[in-house]
Amino acid sequence: MAQQPLPTSAQPTDIYGGDEVSALVLDPGYCNTRAGFAGEDVPKSILPSFYGHVTSDPPRDLFGDECIIPRSDFEVRNYMNKDSVVEDWDVAAKMWEFMLVKRLQPERQTPPSKNKLNDDVKEQDGEGDVAMEEVETMEKALEEFPLLMTEAPWNSPKAREKAIELSMESWGTPAFWLSRTPVLSSFAAGKATALVIDVGGANTSVTAIHDGMVLKRSIQRSPAGGLWLSSQIRNMWETSEPKVDLVPTFMVENKSPVDALSPAQARLREFPYKIHDSFRTFEEERLLTEFKESVVEVWRGPGRYGAAGNEEYIKSQPGRVFEMPDGYNQMWREQRFKVAEGMWDENAGYPVPESERLTKAQTIPELIRSALNAIDVDLRGNLLANVVVTGSTSLINGFNDRLNNELTAMYPGLKIKIHAAGLSSERRFGAWIGGSILASLGTFHQMWISKKEYEENGVGIVEKRCK
Amino acid sequence: MASSDVRDVLNLPDGAAGGPRPSKKQKISAPRPNLKGLAREVHNLGGDNPIAIVPEVTQFKKRRFASRKPAARWELRPFQNSGREDASLILRHWRRAEEGKQPSSTAGGGEGQAGENDVSGSKGEEEIEDSSYAKYNVQVSVPQYNDDQYRQVLENPDWTKEETDYLMELVRDFDIRWPLIWDRYEWSPPATNGEADADGDESKAIVPATRTRSMEDLKARYYEVASRMMAVQKPVQYMTQPEFALHELMAHFNPQQEKLRKDFALNSFGRSREEAREEESLLLEIKRILARSDKFNEERRELYNRLDYPHAEQDINTFKSSTGLQTLLQNLMTADKSKKRKSIMGGEAPTPTGQPTPQQAAPESARRDSAAASTGPRDSAPAAAPAPGNKKAQQQQQQAQQQQQAQQAQQQQSQPQERKKLTEQEEIIYGVTHHERLGSGPTFRTEKINKLFSHKSNQQQLRITNTLNELDVPAKLAMPTAATTHAFEQLLASVNSLLDARKVTDKIDAEIKLELAKKAEREKAAGIHEETEKVEDAGGNAKDDAAAADEPSKEEDNKGATEGADPADEEKEEDDGEDATPSDEAAAQPSVEQDDDDNDDAADKGTDDQLESAAPKRSASVLSDKSDKAAKRQKK
Repeated sequence: MAQQPLPTSAQPTDIYGGDEVSALVLDPGYCNTRAGFAGEDVPKSILPSFYGHVTSDPPRDLFGDECIIPRSDFEVRNYMNKDSVVEDWDVAAKMWEFMLVKRLQPERQTPPSKNKLNDDVKEQDGEGDVAMEEVETMEKALEEFPLLMTEAPWNSPKAREKAIELSMESWGTPAFWLSRTPVLSSFAAGKATALVIDVGGANTSVTAIHDGMVLKRSIQRSPAGGLWLSSQIRNMWETSEPKVDLVPTFMVENKSPVDALSPAQARLREFPYKIHDSFRTFEEERLLTEFKESVVEVWRGPGRYGAAGNEEYIKSQPGRVFEMPDGYNQMWREQRFKVAEGMWDENAGYPVPESERLTKAQTIPELIRSALNAIDVDLRGNLLANVVVTGSTSLINGFNDRLNNELTAMYPGLKIKIHAAGLSSERRFGAWIGGSILASLGTFHQMWISKKEYEENGVGIVEKRCK
Repeated sequence: MASSDVRDVLNLPDGAAGGPRPSKKQKISAPRPNLKGLAREVHNLGGDNPIAIVPEVTQFKKRRFASRKPAARWELRPFQNSGREDASLILRHWRRAEEGKQPSSTAGGGEGQAGENDVSGSKGEEEIEDSSYAKYNVQVSVPQYNDDQYRQVLENPDWTKEETDYLMELVRDFDIRWPLIWDRYEWSPPATNGEADADGDESKAIVPATRTRSMEDLKARYYEVASRMMAVQKPVQYMTQPEFALHELMAHFNPQQEKLRKDFALNSFGRSREEAREEESLLLEIKRILARSDKFNEERRELYNRLDYPHAEQDINTFKSSTGLQTLLQNLMTADKSKKRKSIMGGEAPTPTGQPTPQQAAPESARRDSAAASTGPRDSAPAAAPAPGNKKAQQQQQQAQQQQQAQQAQQQQSQPQERKKLTEQEEIIYGVTHHERLGSGPTFRTEKINKLFSHKSNQQQLRITNTLNELDVPAKLAMPTAATTHAFEQLLASVNSLLDARKVTDKIDAEIKLELAKKAEREKAAGIHEETEKVEDAGGNAKDDAAAADEPSKEEDNKGATEGADPADEEKEEDDGEDATPSDEAAAQPSVEQDDDDNDDAADKGTDDQLESAAPKRSASVLSDKSDKAAKRQKK
């Protein structure tokens, strides 16, 4: 007989110092934007940061995964830039509001004064005032919910001020806080001091956290993330023999199975309108993500992939077959290691245009080295014993083993301990989960920037408080 | 109604079971289960075998919530946090509604809206609770100073007041977490924007170069400010111990050393795996060497201890008797115990009647073994010596003594060991001396000296006084301080040794003469042309010598008794003897034996032999011999 859960009356309410004030947590990134309630373990609403934009008259923006479908006069845009900093604030506001209000809150009942049920012809004249009042209160969508937002550690002061302004002015949140993603990732791992290696979609960053605060000098970032990996895969497909066509799923109407390496036999869908490139790129990215998830692997070591004998060894190992949406399939052996090798070794990997090429300083081991070199020597040992790996690209097979190998090779005399969540959702939403923990803590109440403080100090308060 | 009843009604013969019917009935009725809800008649229909009724369980599953109490009521309750800078922020959390209190209107109510704290003040003010987490908002205290104080005590050529202020602000903001302070330290000095300096130099819009400060610089400045302000607020001499310690710590912060340490850390940070391994192995080696030298030192110390003997600076007279010897043994063992935790007394204490037999002592250590071997038989010697009638009384006496000693030992054991030990210098300063045993009551130091005299024979006293006269030392000390008494004792001891040496030389001379005489006699007997008067002369000489030899041996007896159990003196004496005459042992030993033969009975002699064989030290034989005799004399 399973043990019955404690009745709600007997459950301890203040366990782990938690004291929930129904706060919301918003974690925007280049690939995804995540929103949810503080105290939960996964965000309730995860949407791509890409949104649909209908160019035909009237132009409108469509938010949500389900809206991104082939249609005429349709573009896919992103409100963030590749640095994970908000670029289009108008859309950002709309997008966030969509997520925080539409996706997280129940449909609001039309106030009794407006739902026409109580309409009485005699009271017609007094109605105007009441309606005005309702409009006033309804405008502020988040008046009951403190909001915790995340930002990239290199976020500009301007963007931070904009964020608090948006939150306070247009949503009317009673309290606001802005926190940096590495800090929250380390909180999610249960650490206040950590070296956070965040291998995300658009960026890879290495940041040292001391006592729950970012050490600014240590912040290192490079584009060696998911998108960079995608470009490597594209390159690999283009240069491979035979060349692999990248046909996204939506293009394929039907297909028939073919042997490996033989050309695909599929009928492609015809659209009566032009498919915008941005949409196709977005769809291609989905396919690439699938490829990354199922095929790509990081050479675990020892040594680098390029070291003598390693490639021969891999060739002797079984490969992985991947079938494209159009039916073309191929076995990938050493290539699947070579794709990811560029993150670690600037000389390895597939040739890419010069602009996308990683320099030596942008490889992950070098990022770690320079991050550590920028901080006090007393902290380094402790940080290496608390390495937190987060970000969805870090989920590629063998990533942690390789990281561990690289670190032990770099710092042989030190104890190195890597903390990487086993659950993929914890790795993908590390920063959000940290924010969820932070915002539901009882001791965090003293940190919130209240509306009153905002009104007294203006937008500058966010620089002063959220250090 | 049983089947038999039916048969009765129908007038049927009872069949085979006619005979035992009544008994059967009784048998059946006894174990019948009493099923409820069934008429007796129905029950009886079953006859011998009861009706198979399975009790029906009506309830399929236990109800989950057995209690029918109403569901717990929760309410969204506003609260504030007094730990906040802006304490008026009202947040809401779910709390169990208190019994008897009317729950405030729930669900979407605009009444307790979080934002509008100042509007809903009148109603919510008294109800609003304070967060239990408010107490966790603690601030560090950072030294405060005003302009005057800065000018007086905090001036530093390297730091402007503005920068110091900035540093203090950062320290407060980051709660003295230095890595963060250093990380965020971005001091850009204000540009001297066209304003004339004190000396009239109009340097236009000069932006002083920002200088990078190391963490040590920041720390040094902060500690400097903090310690000085501490001293300003409370002069150093009035500080409490922890305050003073803190002040000292901050005032003596050494950035240079810190920097060196960090350099070292950096160095060790960058070492390769081989270097790390080598260092590790070296460390291991050092540890092993240290451990080995420790062990070696320990062994050596033990060896020294074993060779060592307890010093006796005090009066040895107390040890002259057998009880005195017992006390000596006691002292030796307590000294032993203080050196090693476990002692042979520990083994002895539970069996007060038992002697410290070699078997008991043997496993302890070789040192104790030897001590026990030398002391054990010596203890038993007095018991064996007297007549059988006297023996019992002796033993009783001994037992009483030993019990007493055991008690003493227990007392000593129970005494706390953790008392603070004075160093040797302190002992000298405070005049603390250690005594193995103190006589009861106060005594004069001069008495101690007098005792040294009074225990000697008249002849020896005379000799000693003669020697002292020769040295121009008065026999009575004018100012018997501890030091002088000690020196005098030593002097007397050396005088004694001198006299002994002289005695031995006399004896040897006498023997030489005797041998010469014998030789001369032999020659005379062998020689043809020896004259008779020469022979007579030699014989007379020999006679004289024999008389002389008898004398010193007696003296030695006395002297030995006086010195008793003092092994130090004994040793010294022997050394002296060795210096004086190379064949001392050969000469002295027979004389002692001879002495024994002269004075003691055969039994005593046997004991002596035994003693000598048991004693490991050369000196011990003499010692035990003398003490034995002394004991006997006392008995007499």
